[in-house]
Formats: sequence, C-alpha cells, structure tokens
Amino acid sequence: MNDDQLRELMSSRDPAASLPPARPERVARLLEDTMSPDVQTPADQRQEADPRRRTPLTWVLAAAAVLVIAGVGFFALNGGEGRQPTATPPSSEAPRTVLHLTAPPPTQGRCAMVTARLLGNQDSAFDGTVTAIDGRSVTLEVSHWYRGGDQDLVVVEAPDPEMQALIQSVTFDQGGRYLVSATDGIVTVCGFSAAYSDDLAAIYAEAFGA
Amino acid sequence: MRPVAEVVDDARRERFESLAVTLIEPLRRYLARRADPTTADDVLAETLLVCWRRLEELPGDPLPWAYRVAANCLANARRGVRRQERLAAKVAVVDPPASVVPGPGDTEAPDLDAALAALRDEDAELLRLWAWEQLTPAEIAEVLDITPNAASIRLHRAREKLRAELGARKGDRPAGHEESDEGSRS
Repeated sequence: MNDDQLRELMSSRDPAASLPPARPERVARLLEDTMSPDVQTPADQRQEADPRRRTPLTWVLAAAAVLVIAGVGFFALNGGEGRQPTATPPSSEAPRTVLHLTAPPPTQGRCAMVTARLLGNQDSAFDGTVTAIDGRSVTLEVSHWYRGGDQDLVVVEAPDPEMQALIQSVTFDQGGRYLVSATDGIVTVCGFSAAYSDDLAAIYAEAFGA
Repeated sequence: MRPVAEVVDDARRERFESLAVTLIEPLRRYLARRADPTTADDVLAETLLVCWRRLEELPGDPLPWAYRVAANCLANARRGVRRQERLAAKVAVVDPPASVVPGPGDTEAPDLDAALAALRDEDAELLRLWAWEQLTPAEIAEVLDITPNAASIRLHRAREKLRAELGARKGDRPAGHEESDEGSRS
C-alpha cells in the first residue's frame, strides 16, 4: 500500500466527513461572542466553578499514581546544579496524573528580572493551588497548563534544606494559588514562580500564550 | 471625527473576522475528530478567543498555529474532564467520536481503527494530521512544535508502523482468505 492509498484509506474513516458546515448565523454569533469585551471563556468558567472540596479517595488515588519526571538542572539563578533525569511517561491507567519536580539547591545567585522572554524559555509552566505541604514536598493541583504537561497534580519534592529554601523563596502556603515554571524538572525560583498575581499572570500569558 | 482608538479597533475586528472565517471550518473538523460535540464547541470558542487576543502574533498561514492552540485547549479540557470524572464518578465525555460506520462494501477493508489504536498516540496523531487535516510535514511540525525534519522522519516511520499493523491484521484472517489465489494457481 503506497502513501496515497494509505491516506485515502484513513480519509475514508474520517469522523468529520459527515459534519455539515456551520450555519452562517452560528459563525456570526461565534465571532461576535469572541470579540465582545469581558467575554468569559469556557476555561474561565471551569476554573471559577472548580470545586475546592476533595475527598480522601482523591489523595489515595494521587498517591497511587506517582510518576516521576525529574531532570537535569537549569534555573534562572547563577549556580544551578545538574541532576540526573528519571522520567516515565504518563500512564493512561493512572487515575490522576502527577508531575514531579524538584527544588533547586540553595544558592547565593542573584535574580534576573522576570520577563516574558526569559520565562518563555522554561519547559513547563502552570497555574495551580497548593493542596498539601510537608517538610519534603508541596503538592499543587493544576488548574491550567501554560506549557509542557497535562498532569492533574504537581508534586515538588526536595531534601529538607532545599525544600525550606524553596518554600521561603516562593512562600508556598496551603490553599494558595501559584504560577509555577520549571525547566528540566527543577522549579524556577527568583520570582519566576510565585503566588498568583495579575501582573505575573500577564507575564505568563505573554510568555506562553493562553 | 471618531477617536483613533475606535478606528483601530474596527480595523482589528475586520482583520480578525476575515481570518476567523477561514479558520472556523478546519478547526471544527479538527475538534470533531478528537472530542465529543459539547467539548468541541467549548474548545472552538476558546481557540478563537486566543486567536483574537493574539491576533498580532498570527503567522502568515495561521491554520497550523491555530491547530496548535486548539490542541492545547483540548488537552486542558481533557484534564478538566478527568478531574470531574474522578470527583463525580461520571462517564467519560471527551472520548473521540466513533469513526464512520463501515458500509456494506467496507467489510473487507483492513481494520484501520484497531491498527491506529495499536500505534503510539504520537504516531497516530501525526497520521491523523497528515490524512485528516491534510497537512504537509512542515505544517505538522508547526502544530506539534517540532522541526520540519523531525516531522518528516516521524511521519515516515508512523506510516511504516501503520502499514505493518494493517499487514499483521490481514495476516490474522482465517486461513485461505488471502492466500486463495496462490492455492488455485498450482
């Protein structure tokens, strides 16, 4: 079977083949809704309607679905140190997908200014709420991925002193909403990951798009 | 005289409208192939909103870029649905739609759905973009945010894998079905 025949075979099973074109009035309505100011996107609505209640089962499932994606180090400070990556792809059977990140080692480096250009170099970025903190890890429930993942939870883990430094630099609080970015499995500190604010959200939006 | 801001705004709206009408149909099809109708509608609206907000960033050929935005929005919608399912133990609603039901003449067609399902998700998606969205490797590269070279190589390999899967499925058929010509020759 040559390429053309293969393409033709696939086209013959196109699920959208029987989809009629959108009616003109529907298109007009869609355009008007899009361009009207203060439009609420379905994503906004979902986010606002996002229930905060969680059952104990949720945590059991979260614990059962541990997937490790840690990585080699780069972060926006001088003196970031490398780590060996241990990565597994998300499993379709896992009831909740989890991305594991680590904290950078404590450093004396100076911080660069947070800009969309620098932020845009990070390979993962999300908006999430802290659901659990202990001495070695912070768990966040993701409400929106800007880049690099579709996991439901992110667990930031690190040995004690480093975790303390991270918690201090990002000041994670239980129930707080955060914008977090990371590269090669290491959370970017120095203001690049911080409590949610409209200003930082605007920089995230500029760096990553919606 | 009208304020300058208003004139600029009108020009922007016109530009968006002329672009959006070319994007809506392909995006609707893209989403109909990958999501249930309600999710497809939501994600279409969301994708158009991103295009509207980032109108100045749209490249000359905006469709692959728009597919990429739609793919991201869809991934977020799927994640949201997974969360709802877990909380409310509901039935999945973002399942891909069933493929076209084979007609009476199609019964001999190789089992494409099963062959596609046997591929890795990444490979199957490359093939869908190629066959259903009819994209070139360069366009696929833009949708998937990879280099055109990588897209060409991966597409080539994905086609080979699909052919192998289809071949394997043919081989599974009852004895004598495929080999009947050979048998009658001797």
